[in-house]
Amino acid sequence: MFSPLPEKHWDRVRAAHLLNRAGFGGTPTEIDRLVALGPDRAVDSILNAEPDDEFFPPPSMVEPAARFAFKQREKAAVTEEGKKELRRQLGELDRLSMLDLRLWWLNRMRYTTDPLREKVTLFWHGHFATSNQKVNDPWMMWVQNETLRHGALGKFPALLKEMSRDPAMIRWLDLGQSRREHPNENFARELMELFSLGEGHYNEKDVQESARAFTGYRIEAETGTFRFKAKEFDAGQKVFFGQTGLLTSDQIIDLITAQPQCARFIGRKLWKFFVSDDPSEEALSGIQQLLYSNGYDIAATLRTVFRSEEFYAPKVIHSQIKSPVQWLIQTTKMLETPLPDAGVIENSMSSLGQVLFAPPNVKGWDGGRAWISASSLLYRYNFAAYLLSGKARILGGGGTKVAVIPLGQIAPAGIRTTPDALLSPISFRIFNVTVPEKQEGTYLGYLAAHPLPYTDNTVRDLMQFMMGTPEYQLN
Amino acid sequence: MKSPKEQPVHTRREFLRTSILGGALASSVPLFLEKTFLCLDTMAAATTGQITTGKDGTILVVLQLAGGNDGINTLVPYADDAYYKARPRIAIAGKDVLRINPYAGFHPKLSGLRSLYAEGHLGMVQGVGYPNPNRSHFRSTEIWQTASDAEKNVTDGWLGRYFDNCCSGADPATVGIAIAGQTPQAFSSATPKGIAFSNPSQYRYMAEAASEPSTADQFMRVMNQPDEGHFSLSENAGGSIGMIAGPPDKEGSTVEFLQRTALEARMSSDKILEITRKSKSAVNYPTNQLGNNLNLVARLIAGGLPTRVYYVSQGGFDTHANQLPAHDRLMGDLDASLSAFVADLKAQGNLDRVMVVSFSEFGRRVAENASGGTDHGAAAPLFVLGGGVKPGLYGTYPSLTDLHDGDLRFSTDFRSVYATVLERWLGVPSEVVLGKKYPLLPFV
Repeated sequence: MFSPLPEKHWDRVRAAHLLNRAGFGGTPTEIDRLVALGPDRAVDSILNAEPDDEFFPPPSMVEPAARFAFKQREKAAVTEEGKKELRRQLGELDRLSMLDLRLWWLNRMRYTTDPLREKVTLFWHGHFATSNQKVNDPWMMWVQNETLRHGALGKFPALLKEMSRDPAMIRWLDLGQSRREHPNENFARELMELFSLGEGHYNEKDVQESARAFTGYRIEAETGTFRFKAKEFDAGQKVFFGQTGLLTSDQIIDLITAQPQCARFIGRKLWKFFVSDDPSEEALSGIQQLLYSNGYDIAATLRTVFRSEEFYAPKVIHSQIKSPVQWLIQTTKMLETPLPDAGVIENSMSSLGQVLFAPPNVKGWDGGRAWISASSLLYRYNFAAYLLSGKARILGGGGTKVAVIPLGQIAPAGIRTTPDALLSPISFRIFNVTVPEKQEGTYLGYLAAHPLPYTDNTVRDLMQFMMGTPEYQLN
Repeated sequence: MKSPKEQPVHTRREFLRTSILGGALASSVPLFLEKTFLCLDTMAAATTGQITTGKDGTILVVLQLAGGNDGINTLVPYADDAYYKARPRIAIAGKDVLRINPYAGFHPKLSGLRSLYAEGHLGMVQGVGYPNPNRSHFRSTEIWQTASDAEKNVTDGWLGRYFDNCCSGADPATVGIAIAGQTPQAFSSATPKGIAFSNPSQYRYMAEAASEPSTADQFMRVMNQPDEGHFSLSENAGGSIGMIAGPPDKEGSTVEFLQRTALEARMSSDKILEITRKSKSAVNYPTNQLGNNLNLVARLIAGGLPTRVYYVSQGGFDTHANQLPAHDRLMGDLDASLSAFVADLKAQGNLDRVMVVSFSEFGRRVAENASGGTDHGAAAPLFVLGGGVKPGLYGTYPSLTDLHDGDLRFSTDFRSVYATVLERWLGVPSEVVLGKKYPLLPFV
C-alpha cells in the first residue's frame, strides 16, 4: 500500500516537513532533534507526545447554570429596560468569551506539547464546521472543541457518535427541534453529505429514514448537556441502506461507516489536509483501505502516512498553501515570539479568512487556493512585517507594540560575520527548504552591500523580505 | 559592492516595461495577465496627467443593509389600517410619510430618495424574498450572498460565480472591490477574485516597517514577479529538496498562482493609491461610514478603474428594541449618503453607468414587539438606483394580513433581481451564475 521512506533519505527538509504538516512547524533546534531521532522515532515522538491538558484549564465563559440564571432573571425583570440590560450584559460577556476562547485555542496550538492533536482537532473543526454565529453559546463551542480534541486521534465512528450528541452540533443542525411526528432532516442529510459519505452516495429515502432515528435529542437548559427524550424518539421500523429494523441513531452511524465509500471520503479529506490537494488514485485507495481495515483508527492511519514515501514526495513538500491559522502559529513559533494581542488576532484572522468557531458555512473552509486573494496575500506580507518590526501602525492599528523578536537567539553573533554564514540558517529557518540560486543571489547581494557584522536591522529586514514572498505562504 | 540604494532598482514604469512588457513574457503567463499589464500600463501612462474617465462599461454597486432592515417602515403602507393596528407604537403617521402612491410612501428621512424617485432614477422592488425563509442573520445572509435555495448549502457567492464565468480576460483583482475588512461571501469562489479593504491606504505593502523602506519595496517587487523563474523542481542525489512548485494544473502551479496574485495585488494597489490620492469629490458627503465608503467608490469610478462590481454595507439594522430613533438615524444616513453619491456621479457624468442595488438579509415582522422594536421577519422591499433605472414600483406590496407565520409573504424572488441585473445591466447570461432562469423584472 504505502512504502516507507528509506532511512537514508531522512534529512532536515523532511523532518521540517513532518513538523509542519503534523503540527505547526518548529525552530531549527526542534527540526534537528527530529533529524537525530531518525524517521521511525521521529514519527513516534509526534504520535506519542505528552498530553497538555493540565497546562490549559478552560477559559472563562458563561457556563450553563449561570446562563440559565441570567435567563430566569430576564424573565423576572419587570421593565423592558431591565430585560434589555440583562440581555446586553449577557451578550457582552459572550462576546468577550469568544475572544478568550479563540485566543485560548490559538495559544494552545502555539504552546502545546502535543501539536498533532491540535492539528487534527483543527481538521475536525473544519470537518464538522460548527459556527458560533448560530450556536450563540461560547461554552458549547468549547465543549465541542474538547470533544473533538479527545476523540481526534481515536476511531472515527466513535467520534461521529459523540458529535451527534454534542450540544453545539444539536443546535447547529437543528436536531433539538426534531420530533417524532416531524423529524428534522438537516442533521441526517449533513451527516451523510458532509460528515461521512459525500453527495451521490445516499438517497432522499435514506435521509428521511435516518432522520427518524435521530429524533428525541435535546439539550438540557439548566446543564447545557445532552438529554434523550424518549417520548420524542421514533422507535419504529426503519429501512436504511438495505437493513430493516428498529434502528437507533448509533446503528445508523454503524451502517454508514460500514460503507467503503465512507473510508474513501474521510481518507480523501485527511489526505487533502495533511498531504496534498490532489491525491493520486493509488494514494486514495491506499488510505481508504488503511482506514477501513483498521476500523477508522486515525492515529494508526496518520502514523502510516507520516512514515510513507508518498508523504515526502518532492511534489508534496512545500506545495501546500498555509491556512491563516497555520501561518500565524507557524510564524510565531519560527520567530520564537508570542502571539500578538487579542484585538490584532481578531482583525487579522477575519481579514485572512479564518475565524475559529465561525467557519463560513456548513462545508467549512475550502482551503488551498481559496485562502488567497490579492488583499489577503498583501495582508499576509504586512502581518509578517508587523510581527518583525513591532510597529502597530503597519496593520492600521495604534497602541500596543508587539513583542520583540529575539534576534540575538535567531541570529547569534557567530553567524553575522559573512553573507553566507547568515543567509543559510536564516533562510532555512524561514522556508524549511533550500533557496534556489537565483533568489539566493538576490539575498546575498543585499547582505554584501551591508557592513559586517550584521546589525539587528539588517537581519530583520532580510527576514521581512523573505516573508513577503509567495514561497513563504507554502508548507 | 553596490550601495543598498542601488540594489535591484526599477522605477515603477521601468519595471512595467523592462520586466514585463519589454522582456519576453514567459509562455506560461496566461493571456489575462498579459492583458492586465497592458491595461495597467496604459492606466499608468494616463495617471501621469489627469485622471481619466474613459471607461464605458456598466457598474454595479451592491449595498448591504446588515442586520435586517425594517422594510415596512422604509416603504410605509400608510393607507393600510392593518399597519397601524400591528404597530401601535412604532408606525409612522400618515402625514409624515413621503407619499408616492395612494397606498405607500417613503420613510420621512428618505427625502433625497423621494426626489430621486421623482427625477426618475429610483425603483423599488416590493416584497422581495425567497421560499421557506430563514430567520437567522447568518443563514439568511448566506442565502442572499450565494443565491441558493433555503434548503441547499452553496459555498460560492453569486458575484464569485459572475467573476468566474463572465469576466475572463479581466484583471482578477480589480474585477470586484468590496469596501470592507473582510471579503463578502458574495465574492467567494474556489479561486477568489476581487479584493477587499476598508481603507485604501491599508491596501498596499507596508515597506516602511523595514529599516530600509525603499529596499524593502524593491525586494517586494522583485520577489513577486512571475518571470523570475526561480521555481524549478530540483532534487539532488542526496535527496535534498529545493523550492519546488506544487503540481501544475490548468491554472499553473501553486507558486505561479501565488506569484500572479502577488503581482495583481501590487498593480491594483499602486493604481488604487494613485487614484485615491489624486481624485477629489465634487460634492460633500455626510460623515458616516457609508458616506465615506460611497465617496471612495465614486472616486475609484472617476479614476477609471475597470471594476464592474463594488460592494459596500451599512450596519445596525437589527432593531429589536426602541426602534424609532435608531431607524430614523439609519434612514437619514442612508438617504444622505446615496444622495451625495448620485450627485457626485452626475457631476462626473457617470450616473448612467452605475446602478446601486440594496439588499438586507430579511425584513422585520409585521407586528412590533413589546420593546418598541421588531423581530426578524421575511420579505422586504429593496432599492435599485441609477441613471439606467426605469423608475417606479415593481412587484406587489405583500398583504399585511395574509401572513406566513407572522411574516409578509414574498412576491418577488430575490434571484429575479439578480437575474435582471446580470442580464440587463451587466449583460451576461444569468443562468450560468444562478443555476436556472428566473423571470426578469422591467426595472432596467
